[in-house]
Amino acid sequence: MPTFKLDDREIPFEPGETIIQAAHRAGIEIPHYCWHPGLSVAANCRMCLVEVLPPPGRPALSLAVMSWDESQGAYVDQKKPKLQPACQQGAADGMEVRAETSPHVLRARSSVQELLLLNHPVDCPICDQAGECRLQDYWLEHQSSSKRMRDEPVHKPKAVSFGPTIVYDAERCIVCTRCVRFSAEVAKDPVLSVRQRGNLNEITVAPGRSLDHPYSLMTEYVCPVGALTAKDFRFKARVWFLRSAKTVCQGCATGCNAFLDHDPRTGAVYRHRPRENAAVNRYWMCDEGMLDYRRIDERRITAAAVSGEASTLGSALDRAAVVLREAPRDRLGVVLSAQHSTEDNFALLGLARDVLGATSFFLGGRPAGQGDDVLRDADKNPNTRGVRELLGATPLGTMPELAAKVAAGAITELLVLGADVGELPDASALSGARVAVAVASAEGPLLSRPYVLLPATGYGEADGTYVNRAGLAQHSEEAVPARGDARPAWKLLAGIAARLGKDLGYRKLTELRGALGGAAAPAGAAE
Amino acid sequence: MEPLDRDLDHSELELPAEPMMLDMGPAHPCMHGTVRTVVELTGERIVRADVQVGYLHRGFEKMCERGTWTQVFPYVDRANYISPMLNNVGFALACEKMLGIEVPERCQWYRMALGELARISDHLTCDGAMAMELGAFTPFLWMVKAREMVWEVLEEETGARLTHSFGRVGGMAHPPTDGFKETTRATLDQVLKVVEECERLLLGNRIFLDRLEGVGPITAADAISLGWTGPCLRACGVPYDVRKAHPYLRYAEVDFDVPVGVHGDSLDRFLVRLAELRQSARIIRQALDRMADSGPVNVDDPRVVLPPKEEVYSTIEGTIRHFKIVMEGLKIPAGEVYSYTEAGNGELGFYLVSDGSGTPYRVRIRPPCFLITSGLERVITGQMIADVVPCFGSLNMIGGECDR
Repeated sequence: MPTFKLDDREIPFEPGETIIQAAHRAGIEIPHYCWHPGLSVAANCRMCLVEVLPPPGRPALSLAVMSWDESQGAYVDQKKPKLQPACQQGAADGMEVRAETSPHVLRARSSVQELLLLNHPVDCPICDQAGECRLQDYWLEHQSSSKRMRDEPVHKPKAVSFGPTIVYDAERCIVCTRCVRFSAEVAKDPVLSVRQRGNLNEITVAPGRSLDHPYSLMTEYVCPVGALTAKDFRFKARVWFLRSAKTVCQGCATGCNAFLDHDPRTGAVYRHRPRENAAVNRYWMCDEGMLDYRRIDERRITAAAVSGEASTLGSALDRAAVVLREAPRDRLGVVLSAQHSTEDNFALLGLARDVLGATSFFLGGRPAGQGDDVLRDADKNPNTRGVRELLGATPLGTMPELAAKVAAGAITELLVLGADVGELPDASALSGARVAVAVASAEGPLLSRPYVLLPATGYGEADGTYVNRAGLAQHSEEAVPARGDARPAWKLLAGIAARLGKDLGYRKLTELRGALGGAAAPAGAAE
Repeated sequence: MEPLDRDLDHSELELPAEPMMLDMGPAHPCMHGTVRTVVELTGERIVRADVQVGYLHRGFEKMCERGTWTQVFPYVDRANYISPMLNNVGFALACEKMLGIEVPERCQWYRMALGELARISDHLTCDGAMAMELGAFTPFLWMVKAREMVWEVLEEETGARLTHSFGRVGGMAHPPTDGFKETTRATLDQVLKVVEECERLLLGNRIFLDRLEGVGPITAADAISLGWTGPCLRACGVPYDVRKAHPYLRYAEVDFDVPVGVHGDSLDRFLVRLAELRQSARIIRQALDRMADSGPVNVDDPRVVLPPKEEVYSTIEGTIRHFKIVMEGLKIPAGEVYSYTEAGNGELGFYLVSDGSGTPYRVRIRPPCFLITSGLERVITGQMIADVVPCFGSLNMIGGECDR
């Protein structure tokens, strides 16, 4: 592999890579605003300027400048090297690049930073970006001085609504065009562009349009400063109080890697952010997924119930064991859930197949929705493939097939995980059967009148494995404490089995995963 | 057959007695702070002593690991709360050592002057309390009156009489007030007058001297092996003073003597403190003479020092600078340091570990009192029970420093 020298360190690179790409891969971060590894190169912020030494025997590219000489008290002619943007300059074998070791580069960074802050408003106290803002970080790292301009800064529109999800503040904007490029290149909807010139330029939405493509929240995420803020997160929390858990998005079968940001003091969840994974979602997530975290607190079931009456968890489990023991095994339908983790479904399978001897299995989940060729999948369940793989050769029916069997009187009792009825318009087609035991985290059509209802933890409250459409098993971490009485569904199901006199053989997640074998091993999940 | 009384050997002078266990503290009027001393007595003589310091436990080293480096200052205030300024300065110097920065000269003189004022307050308290516990109430009131004068200067400078939280990494919270030099000079005169009066009252008093002279002696070798520093060690004749041995700030540039004792008994410890008071006054006068009336107090380093407020409210650069230091904390490069200064009771060491973030990874304090208190057992063993009070008083145990 060819190499170049960056500040006396040899950096290997693939032919065609730029300096910043190769350095990024080697773990060296050259400061930048406009460059993003997933977007085209704009080279407009000038923060990543580096000094490229000329090949041996060739003169250096240099500029004639005038600089103030204190001793002479006058401007004198001087030469300074022509710096190159590291994001655009391709790496060449044997090339010698100076960044931290070049006084010209350090001075350029400081000057660029000073320029970017020239018209910046004093907004940190009211800006959602504060705490994760490049302007703040780079000021301390690369400038650390006050601006010299004494003029009134240029004023521009503030709090402009760009669409249903995004608010734009032109004064904070450094016009790096990341949002413009993202919309055009990744979301394939060039709805944003730049208008005006110089210090008057700003981002604008195409006339007659609003920023409403399915990846609009990503524009906020790629924004290195506080110019674009998400309406969903605006003024909700300060980021330095938040902690992040590594989760897997539950919005569809793509299984985008995400960070779930939550406040450990209150257990409240605040936002979803994409977590880089080249094999799944690269750097991106869709709006649906980024807002999907809100389901954690939507229509939650936080307490057990028997016949609609509130009950303690213990007596509800006792009741569940009794009704399941009495249920006729040949007419017991078991609904697995593509919304739940592999662990939960594995425990349900263990209880239904090995303890109760049930034979009819069906797959529940949310109905199909819209998909596209960027990230979104039409299957809106995170674990469809995981459940299918779990059953292997055992037949797994659809919800309409279950409805047909119920109508024919072949199934009269149901053991249900989750609350969704899949492709069925509603649960009326299933009214011929009794939902004997339901384990679910949120209200749904299946739960109109369950006999025993057990509260399960939702996404973000428990560790779980989800297998995406490509067959990649990924772990999602626990972020916040379980709501109310909720317990992981597998624990509840194992509890029922124990009350039926059968030990499923696991009391801890690690034991369960051991029993699961390879099915729960994360494959290729990037950090 | 049970032994009869007449079988006992009557040749001993004293009547045989069961050894008696006695608890002094943790809530005893003479126990400064909550410390418990279990003594085993034969008659009135102590044959065994067990000093237990765990009754004050705030876990403040652990607390320091939660906030920013700056937020540690209020905690160190509460280590030796009789001379908090010395702790503030000690901690600031430790942080600055890691950062590789040195505060401006004006600040160094300021820190020395304030620190020595704190030392005067510390020694006045200790000697006054010693006298009071031996029944001499008047000197105590007089010395506390003098301490109050010192505290008034400190209050004028810092806004707080006791827990100032006035130190900052890279400087002080505020520059000296306009009248600082004048007030301090005048105060020193008054304080030293009071000290002289007390000295005349006490050192001509037979009872006071009898209670201290030869009581609770310790040899220099023992004191060193116990890790003693400060006035208690110097009372044994060892002239170790961090300000002389390893000068910091501008101590190398001022004239002062290190008073030492001869016998290492309670009286020597009392006298060494009295002498040090006067040396501190000498240092303060020199510091005041050499401290500039204007000029920067804080280093000009945006990484560690907050910008002026008017800049914070009106410029984005000031806001960012303020924001980074307040919200994330000033960043100290990863590494570790041991930095030590002469506090009221001896060598106050800070062993700091930084992981490069804005929060201390570990703050270990080596307080002089913890080691000195561990020697109390040796000092009082063999003494009379009534001597526990002056011995303990002369060690000047500060409960806050023994918090482990």
